[in-house]
Amino acid sequence: MSQSEPEKPVLFSAERLSRYYGDFGALREVDLTVKEGEIVGLIGENGAGKSTLLKMIAGVEQPTAGQMFMQGRPYSCRTPLDANVQGVGMVFQEQALIRNLTVAQNIFLGREDHFRRHGVISWQRMNAAAARALAAIGMGSIPPEKKIWDLNFASRQMVEIAKVFDIVSTANPGESSLILLDEPTSVLNEAECQLLFQETRRLRDEGHAIIFVSHRLNEVLALTDRIYVFKDGTGAGEVKTQEADAQILYRMMVGHATTGQYYKTERQNLREPEVALRVRDISLKGIFREVTFDLHQGEVLGLCGVEGSGNEAVCSVICGDASPSSGTLEVAGTTFTSFANPAEALRYGILSIPKERREEGVIGILSIAENMIMSNLKAACSAGVLSNRRVSQIAREWVGKLRIKCGQVSDRIMRLSGGNAQKVVFARAMISKARILVLNHPTRGVDVGSKEEIYTLIRDMTNLGVAVIILGDTLDEYIGLSSRLLVMKDGQAIRSFDCPPDAKPEQVEIIKYMM
Amino acid sequence: MPALARVFRDHLSSLMPLLCLALVLGVFTSMNANFLGVYNITSILTDTAPLLLVAGSLTFVLLLGCIDLSTGSIISCSCVIAGLYISETGSPVMLVLMALMGVLAGLLNGLVYTLLRVPTFVATLCTSAVWQCAALLISDGKPKGIPIKQWSVINWSKFTLFDLFPITFLVALGFLAILFFIQNRTRVGKSIYAVGANEKASRMMGVATTWTKLAAFTLAGVGSALAGVFYAIKLRSSLPQVGTPLTLMAIAAVVLGGTTLTGGIGGVLRTLVGVLLVIAIQNGLNLVGVDAFWQQICFGTLVIVAIILNADKSGRDIIIK
Repeated sequence: MSQSEPEKPVLFSAERLSRYYGDFGALREVDLTVKEGEIVGLIGENGAGKSTLLKMIAGVEQPTAGQMFMQGRPYSCRTPLDANVQGVGMVFQEQALIRNLTVAQNIFLGREDHFRRHGVISWQRMNAAAARALAAIGMGSIPPEKKIWDLNFASRQMVEIAKVFDIVSTANPGESSLILLDEPTSVLNEAECQLLFQETRRLRDEGHAIIFVSHRLNEVLALTDRIYVFKDGTGAGEVKTQEADAQILYRMMVGHATTGQYYKTERQNLREPEVALRVRDISLKGIFREVTFDLHQGEVLGLCGVEGSGNEAVCSVICGDASPSSGTLEVAGTTFTSFANPAEALRYGILSIPKERREEGVIGILSIAENMIMSNLKAACSAGVLSNRRVSQIAREWVGKLRIKCGQVSDRIMRLSGGNAQKVVFARAMISKARILVLNHPTRGVDVGSKEEIYTLIRDMTNLGVAVIILGDTLDEYIGLSSRLLVMKDGQAIRSFDCPPDAKPEQVEIIKYMM
Repeated sequence: MPALARVFRDHLSSLMPLLCLALVLGVFTSMNANFLGVYNITSILTDTAPLLLVAGSLTFVLLLGCIDLSTGSIISCSCVIAGLYISETGSPVMLVLMALMGVLAGLLNGLVYTLLRVPTFVATLCTSAVWQCAALLISDGKPKGIPIKQWSVINWSKFTLFDLFPITFLVALGFLAILFFIQNRTRVGKSIYAVGANEKASRMMGVATTWTKLAAFTLAGVGSALAGVFYAIKLRSSLPQVGTPLTLMAIAAVVLGGTTLTGGIGGVLRTLVGVLLVIAIQNGLNLVGVDAFWQQICFGTLVIVAIILNADKSGRDIIIK
């Protein structure tokens, strides 16, 4: 957009929008404006607040504070349907189509009434209407009577856009709509991306507005008119795309570097020569390929990468939750092509602390004590007989050591706060005597105080020689905790950084390789 | 008394079956004074014995959040084999042999579930047909009494301690004690609770989920097979359809005892109360003259009511962030 061009009217704006979950602010006081006929990009690290913002605009979640306006009028929506009626539609990150229904049935899902006469739906008229809806976004080539599972990913994405666009434009004929695209390119190849971009631009030229979220900076730079940068749940600034380049954006995205003291870097180990785990050329078809590294005793290895880079899948393979399609793992002098399950991995000293604590980390209806002992029941057995007194004794010991705030160790763990529950999980890891720990977002949903205690725990364990692989919440955390960083992008480990306590790399250096 | 009220509320789910038992005993006693007579109590306890074996071991399967619909057919099959065996030779080896058959039957259920990933209600419904068929084939479809000359082999079963507790009941109690030990004092027992409460988390914690499931189903198989032997001894015949109503009665006993169908909550001691409740109801209905066919309607309804009462409506796995 050049300066001489007349200023376009504002379609949507948000003022001081916030979303809190308890004390945790996923989004804090964010401002945003989108004009008619404009493509706005949102970028930021994982968890910077982009998706939260989109969800609030689309009516999936409600803001806890702040206001939104659509065409100058106050705007609020309780449900996605509510948002659609007011001219806002969101294309979700995970494809939300029903695969065994046809294109037309998906586009008009929940709106079949228009095609019903005497209780019978006319598929013919529905297909014709679907063809019109597809033609409206230039996708007349997709046959409406085809089933979704017969389409490639790009066409599916276009059907989804056609669906959202049709819902929004039927509800508001002749008016400009706001379409939200959350990572629409993550499943597309290069040619499919170009097609998507072409159609997105066409929608813009017709006067509609689009908000585009992507991890890929080059796409954001190529497609958008203006870019908002997010970090740690707040807006870190906006730039016109033509004035921006990758370097500028990297600098805006990275957060403040916290002092080494916060991450107890003074207790970081020097690399020990003994290798705890040798990973050789492991691949998981379609997710990651030929990842190779050595994990040394007592080190913290950060596996960083944006969502979909494959770092999570590498962790699932190492802890026995998934089987790689090729490659080997060598631990304790034994070489494996894969572990049968996490139980087998644990026999060789590998344990994972999962990301979704409520679903995978703890067993909510069991007691604190049972949750602690579950990875090593043998510790409370003598001659094969389990002593419940011993279980409680061990649990009380660790409750004291880790200063876990709880009533009785026989209380259900679901009564504990996030931080205390996570400390129980760490107690379990220590009781398990695992020598290799895979920590998947160990500080997620944990209050600040407990976070620091968890960092201390990680140092305690590594000082005892435990090797740790970590997936962090922020780049700052990655750099602060790790003694070495492995950057993954599009399924490959592309670069490794040494992070000695006195010479930690800058965030900007690393984010370059991630995006 | 707020403290007492809190204790009452916290333990409501475990107290409920006991209260129900008291209520049932009260109601039937008021209708027929003989209900709590020594003779009838012995009769109730005799009836309790085989059901205790099935329901006690079935508890583990329900604790996993699974179901076993083959228990009744395994009972029939083992009753037929045990009956014929006693008629022919009749040595105590039979109990061991039948337990072995139970191991096989239970293991089969467990393998179809874990290896072939068939949902347990379908898997056990199918194996149920297999065992029922086997029972009918072996017995030629006809009940057959154990000849009187062989009764000496099983006369021990008539012994009653203090003229009140039948030996079969005591043996069943012993079996239950073993199950209780497994539940509370072994790794398998703890793992069953963990897998039933949250299988995904248990797996990630390194619990051997497949072995745990196999163990639970195997135990249920053993309990059922032993129950079949008890029926053969008690009824002094091999009856190819004796187990048919017992599948439902066993589930009724476990659920009425307070073990949830969703898994992770309950235990074999609760099942003891559940079994007494079920048998008391059955015995009481007989005593006041309710038709045997009507009793099945009664148990079907009871299971549904018990499930509704037991259902956890608060959401099972919540941590306050």
